[in-house]
Amino acid sequence: MSLFSPAEGWYDKKVSKDEKMWMVIALILCIAMFIWMIMWHVYGKQNPSSTTYRTSTAEFAKLGEAYTKQNMIGTDNGIPVVRPQPNSDVFLVAEMWRWSPALILQKDQAYKFHISSKDVVHGLSIQPVNMNFQVYPDYDYVLEFKPTETGEYKVVCNEFCGIGHHTMIGKIVVIEQEEDLKLYGYENFKKAPDPLPEKTNEPLSEADMSKLGEQVYTLKGCGACHKTDGTSQIAPAWNGLFGKEEEVIENGKRTSVKVDEDYIRESIKNPQQKITVGFENTPMPVFPVTDEEIDQLIAFIKTLNN
Amino acid sequence: MFRTCDITGFKVDLQSEKLIRYNAVFAVISLLLAVTAAILLVFTRYQPVHLLGAEWYYRLVTFHGLNALIFWIIFFEIAGLYFGSTVILNTRFCSPRWGWIAFGLMVAGLVLSNIIILMGKADVMLTSYTPLKAHPLYYLGIILFAVGALVAVALFFGNLMIARREKAYGETMPLFTYGLMTAAIIAVITLASGALIYVPTFLWSLGLIQNIDPAMYKLIWWGLGHSSQQINVAAMVSIWYMTSFLAVGGTSINERVSRSAFVLYILFICLASAHHLLTDPGVSSAWKVWNTSYAMYLAVLASMIHAFAVPSSFESAQRRWGYNKGLFQWLSKAPWGNPAFSAIILAIIGFGFIGGTTGVIFGMEQTNIIVHNTIAIPGHFKGTVVIGTTLTFMGITYYLIPLIFRRKIVGFKWAKWQPWLFFIGIALLSISMIVLGQLGVPRRHWDSTFSGGPFTYNFNPAVDFFWALMMLGGSLAFIATLIWIFIVVISVFWGPRVNGPQDMQLSISPLAPPAKAHKGFEAPGTLVLTFIFLLVFMALFFLNWKWLAATWNVN
Repeated sequence: MSLFSPAEGWYDKKVSKDEKMWMVIALILCIAMFIWMIMWHVYGKQNPSSTTYRTSTAEFAKLGEAYTKQNMIGTDNGIPVVRPQPNSDVFLVAEMWRWSPALILQKDQAYKFHISSKDVVHGLSIQPVNMNFQVYPDYDYVLEFKPTETGEYKVVCNEFCGIGHHTMIGKIVVIEQEEDLKLYGYENFKKAPDPLPEKTNEPLSEADMSKLGEQVYTLKGCGACHKTDGTSQIAPAWNGLFGKEEEVIENGKRTSVKVDEDYIRESIKNPQQKITVGFENTPMPVFPVTDEEIDQLIAFIKTLNN
Repeated sequence: MFRTCDITGFKVDLQSEKLIRYNAVFAVISLLLAVTAAILLVFTRYQPVHLLGAEWYYRLVTFHGLNALIFWIIFFEIAGLYFGSTVILNTRFCSPRWGWIAFGLMVAGLVLSNIIILMGKADVMLTSYTPLKAHPLYYLGIILFAVGALVAVALFFGNLMIARREKAYGETMPLFTYGLMTAAIIAVITLASGALIYVPTFLWSLGLIQNIDPAMYKLIWWGLGHSSQQINVAAMVSIWYMTSFLAVGGTSINERVSRSAFVLYILFICLASAHHLLTDPGVSSAWKVWNTSYAMYLAVLASMIHAFAVPSSFESAQRRWGYNKGLFQWLSKAPWGNPAFSAIILAIIGFGFIGGTTGVIFGMEQTNIIVHNTIAIPGHFKGTVVIGTTLTFMGITYYLIPLIFRRKIVGFKWAKWQPWLFFIGIALLSISMIVLGQLGVPRRHWDSTFSGGPFTYNFNPAVDFFWALMMLGGSLAFIATLIWIFIVVISVFWGPRVNGPQDMQLSISPLAPPAKAHKGFEAPGTLVLTFIFLLVFMALFFLNWKWLAATWNVN
């Protein structure tokens, strides 16, 4: 009958016993599920937070960089490592394509994470515990995590963020005792890192410049794309780069250039001018770095041999 | 200009029939584009093959999503809306000229967006979350398509007005058209949300607007993205009722109940945009709980009402035909040789047991933490949109070929088992994706070995088995879809003409005889089935909450 007007009296037809029974059960189930979600806020231990602060990509990038610079105790594959105090604020920055910093947390201690993005939308996915949250630019999401198991966790990005999406993976290590650090090769991270050279009126030595350059590399996230181990999936590797002849595309024409100080300076300030052949699909954005920092980066690149 | 159908007796407006045909043809073209991309994607995510490079993988994810979720579904729905508002109501099409304008806009939108995607100017996924930016013409293509669809929906309402004024359908609108009207109302809300977000985004891509807030974008975009899938739900349930009528002469055992459930859809189902913001900053828990539950699950209640009302309409009719023995003779003696019938029964099972259960559980505020953005999410909506809606649309097409295209079905033997193959394929695909997601595998991710990253991560070794199962399921479903497309295309363009009821390969059942007065249950078999569903649901419910409780504490 569903293609015709229903039979006379359809509106007053009594609902059959079984249908009535099912509807009552369904309604009870619906209300119970609604109450369940509310009760989980009272009795459950996993509830997405409602705390959000308005921020901007530039502001959060600065906050994150300052936080990492102050608390960094070492690096792991080019990612700075921070060991925050329990109950302290932790700044976790998402950017194309890395999570920074890597973290060492204490089991059963709470940490107040501030999570935001420097560029596009990302997805925070902590594995294998499988907890997933959305990360936006311009919004600082505050989530208080309390790890309940020790072990090594990876932070996967599970929201599409560009061609290098699959390379975006970070690390969180949860320990119970100091000895656990050995499991992850972090035992030397306990003490504060070597002090960096102070600024004086004297020009710095090449070695000091290079040390500062390495810090810029780590903090600004150059290593998200430019590796120093010779791999080059997204961008040219930095080891053995200085002095090399590179095939580049300039104004649509293919030419060859020698990688020298001027070329590196130009490539950082105006990355679209000369694009290295093979990396046309992963154009580099302009990063906010000072001339001084660029000099330090150049000094760092010079020290990276094959 | 009308013809009177020599099989059903309906008066068919020839202009309307032509519009239905053209919209249906473009639906099939969109589906072909979607599944071609799909099979390449399956073999990319299956790591031993890893077919496409990163660039083309993301490009085709975008392409697949747009063609499958938007173009295929909406073209077919527009054909369905025209069918339900003219043929079924014995009425004429209000303005064929505007019908063609709508069709032209939709085709232009399809062509434009697809070209821009394939040119590599819109690798932003279907969701295109800002600040990812596509070429302006990509957004323009979607706007053109949406405007066309909106005009088509307006024409549907125009047709209803004519039918009502001319008293073409008697006192009360038929249930099928009533359900379609529900779909059309949801479509207006959906397409309005689409305009609200795509127009400013288009202007932003042209540089005329400075900034699109990413959280606002996501909130409103899902007013389109999720609600458009609710159009499917309403349209699909309407087709289920229609199939009960066509295949066994059944009807809802209480039309007032069925119609009330459709009203609940209109009132509450569009809150579902919240399902996508459960682990997001910017909205409070109170907002999340209220909206994600469609105001205390009243839209879920509607679906559960249909879950009883649809099978019981089959059962009640079959019992009146005399298949009264035991709990399930009505089911064993059902017309399984009718591919439309088997497709719809399988769609109901898949939609309920795979799509529905996971949809409700994943859509709860806290359990969303363990599945958000994992591959379990597309796994869930393969259960709703692909087994539910797509298989329903495939099934009903077996009736449309003889009745609207007036052709016999070529390869009818293949048609008989095509729904089964498709069901098995998508069920395997969908279930393995859900399991993979529960093991933490992300969606829309080119390389789960994280090559080129500073670290790597090895998922639970069980994933290897489920990746293989997903690949197998995807391949079966791909083959089943090709079979369906071949049957449809060959029948429609080269099939022998239908000249009367003797050429019908699928039976159209006469109305089931009226029920004898009886006490007790009207559909005991259905009641048992719905209880089984309830048990499965409860098991999955507690399993997911148990998994959630095992994670770190967070608040």
